[in-house]
Amino acid sequence: MEAMTQGGALVRVLLILYGEWQDAHLEVRYTDVDYFVFSDAAALMASGRSPYQRSTYRYSPLIAFLLTPNSFLHPSWGKFLFSASDLLVGFLIHKILKLRGVPEKLCTYSTMVWLFNPFTFTIGTRGNCEPIVCSMILWILVCLMNGTTSTPAAFWYGLVVHLRIYPIVYAFPIILLLDPLYFQPGKKPILSEWSSRTSVSSQNSSNTKTTKSKYIWNSLTSMITWRRVKFGIISGSTFFILTGLCFYFYGWNFLHEALLYHLTRTDPRHNFSIYFYHIYLNYEQDFSIVEKLIAFLPQFIVQLVLIFRFAFDLPFCFFLQTLAFVAFNKVITAQYFVWFFCLLPLILPWSNMKLKWKGLACISLWIGAQIHWLMWGYLLEFRGKNVFFQLWLASLLFLAANSFVVINVICNHKFSRVFCGEFSSRTVNIFFLDK
Amino acid sequence: MEIQQFKQVQTNSMIRFLLIFLVIIHYSAHASSSYEQTDFVEKYIAKTYFEKYDSFVDSQFSFFIENEIPLGMSEMPRDNSNVMSILHRNIIGEGSHRRLSSSMRLKTQSELTEQSCEIIIIERLPNGVFADPFELQHLVHRGVFNDVAVFGDTNLELPSFRSNQSVVEIHMIYEDDSEINLDVPLHARYPPLGHGFSLVEFGQPDLFLCCCGLGGNSVNRSCLLMQTSEDKASSPVIWEIPCGIKEHAQVVSAVSFGFAVVAALLIVLASISYSDSTGFDKSKHS
Repeated sequence: MEAMTQGGALVRVLLILYGEWQDAHLEVRYTDVDYFVFSDAAALMASGRSPYQRSTYRYSPLIAFLLTPNSFLHPSWGKFLFSASDLLVGFLIHKILKLRGVPEKLCTYSTMVWLFNPFTFTIGTRGNCEPIVCSMILWILVCLMNGTTSTPAAFWYGLVVHLRIYPIVYAFPIILLLDPLYFQPGKKPILSEWSSRTSVSSQNSSNTKTTKSKYIWNSLTSMITWRRVKFGIISGSTFFILTGLCFYFYGWNFLHEALLYHLTRTDPRHNFSIYFYHIYLNYEQDFSIVEKLIAFLPQFIVQLVLIFRFAFDLPFCFFLQTLAFVAFNKVITAQYFVWFFCLLPLILPWSNMKLKWKGLACISLWIGAQIHWLMWGYLLEFRGKNVFFQLWLASLLFLAANSFVVINVICNHKFSRVFCGEFSSRTVNIFFLDK
Repeated sequence: MEIQQFKQVQTNSMIRFLLIFLVIIHYSAHASSSYEQTDFVEKYIAKTYFEKYDSFVDSQFSFFIENEIPLGMSEMPRDNSNVMSILHRNIIGEGSHRRLSSSMRLKTQSELTEQSCEIIIIERLPNGVFADPFELQHLVHRGVFNDVAVFGDTNLELPSFRSNQSVVEIHMIYEDDSEINLDVPLHARYPPLGHGFSLVEFGQPDLFLCCCGLGGNSVNRSCLLMQTSEDKASSPVIWEIPCGIKEHAQVVSAVSFGFAVVAALLIVLASISYSDSTGFDKSKHS
C-alpha cells in the first residue's frame, strides 16, 4: 500500500510540474479554468474582499479560503492540496475495504483503480476541488462503519452538503442504515465480512402474513429512532450554521452563487446532459412547473428505487445513486464523473463482472459514448459547425451507455449488507412486499 | 477503548475545524479593505460613460465620446493632422473562441516625443459575443496590454437574447511611429434560435491618443479622439455563430423526456427484479 501511495504521489507531482510547463509554453492550458476562478476568488478573500466578486465563482467560501495560500505561498498550492486529497481518497478506499474484510490483494487492486485512473489523477492535478468532496464522502462511510455514535458522520455530512449540494441524495440511505438493530446503544456495529457475503433473500420473504397497511404503519413508526433524529439534527445544524455564517459574511451573493444557482441551474450551453438542447430551444420562454417536474421525475423515481432496494449495502447504494444522479441530471460536466469514480473501487470486490468481456464491454461503451459526444462537442465549439442535433443524439447515447452500466453493475453485484445483525427487512419490504 | 479514542479524536477535530473556520472567515471578511480603494478613478473612458448611463446604447455612446469628454481629460485640438489608419481588421480562429485582430498605424504631425503616450482602443462588442475580463487581465500580467477593462454586461454565461452589449477598453503604450497590433480574445454567446448560423458584425473601434506631460503627471493628461481611415476597402468583420434550429424544439423535448423515462424504467426494472441471491448463485456456479 505504501509503495502504491508513493507511486501515486509521484505521478501527481510530476503531472503538476508538467502542467506548469504546458501552461507556460502551449496555447492549450493544462490547468482547469475553474482553478483560475478559485485562485482569483482566494486572492480576493486574502485581500479582505468577497470571493463572489469573481464572476462564475460558485462554491462555498471555504474552498476559496483553503486556496488563499495560492496568493502568498505558491500558485500551485491548491493543486497540491487537491492531489493530497486525491491520495487520501486512495487511503480511505483501502481502509474501508479492509474494514469490510476484503483480502489484501483485492484491496490493493481496487485502490489502484482509483490511484492510477488517468481520469481521476488529472482532475486533482488540473486543479479541480472534487477530490476534497470525495474524501469527505469516504470519511463519512468510515465514521459510520467505525462509530458507536453517528455524531462525527453527521457533522461531516452537514459539511459536505454545504460544500457541494449533491451529497444530499445520500441522506435517506444513511438514515435507513442507522437501524437500531445494527446500532445497539454503546456497542460498535458489527461489520459483515467480505468472505461471508451471502443471500438475504430468505430474510426478505419474512412477515408475509402481516397485512400490507399494518406493515407499512409499523415500518413508519419504527423508522423514527433517536439515532436517526440525532443524525438529522447534527447534520442539519452543521449545514445551517455554516451556510448561515457564510450568508452573514457574504450575503445574498453567497446564497445565489453557491446554493441557489446549483439548485435552479438550467444551462443552455452544451454539456453531456440530454436536456441541454431542450433547455436551449426553450430558453426564450420560461419553463412551467409541470415541465420542471416532468424533467425531475425520472431522476426522482430512480433515486427512490435504488435507495429502498440497496440502502443496506451503503457503498453500493452510494455508487448507483451517484452514477444515476449524474446521468439524469439537467447539467453534466466531466468533473462530476469523479463523484462516482471514488466509489467504484468500493464495489468491485462484490462484483461478479469479469473484465473479459462484460467489464470491458461496459468500460468501452461508456468511454466510447463519451468520446463520440466529445467529437461532436469539438466540432461545435472549436470548429463552429452547426451540429447541435448530432450532439444531442450523442447525449442520448451517453445516457443509454450510463443506463447500460448501471443495469449491468446491478445484475452482477453480490448484495452484501454493511452490518451484521438480525436483518430489519421492513423498510425494504415496503417496496417489495409482493415479491 | 479504541472506540472512545476514535470518538474523542473526531470531536476534537470537529471543534478545531469549526474554530479555525470561524476565526478565518471573520478575519477575511473584516480585513483591511484598502484593496478596494485601488479602483481607477477616471482612468477608463468607458467607465465614465457607464457611471452616467445605465446601459449601453450605441448612438448614446457615440454622442458621449464625441461631445462629452470625460472629466479629468482636456481635449486636444481635433484636426485631420492626427489620423489613425486601420491596416487590417479580422476575426481569427474557428468555433466559439476567437480573436478580434486589428492592426493600425498613427499618422500624426504633433510632437509627442516629450510626452508619454498611450493608445486607447474601445471595442464596442456586438450582442452575440463577450470578452472575459479575467482572461484579459492575464494578458495584462503577461505584458500584452498596458491595461484593460470590460464594461457593460460581463455575465459570461447568458445566451445573447438574455444579455446586453459590453465594451472592452484596451490601453497600449504608444511608441513612435510603430504599428499597433492587437488580438482581443472573444467568446461567442449562444445566439437566438434561427436557421443555421447567426451573424455577428463588428464595427470600427473608437481610438484615443492620451498623453501625459513630462513626469507622467496624470492630472495633465490630455486625450484626443482619433479619426480613423481604412487603407483598403475592407469587408465588414463578421463572425458566424451556429444557432439552435427552432423546428427541432418539439421533437427534441418529446424524445428527451421519453428517453429519460424509458432509461429510468429499465433501471427500476433491473433493481426490482434483482434478487439478492443473483450474485451469490452466480459466484457458486462460476
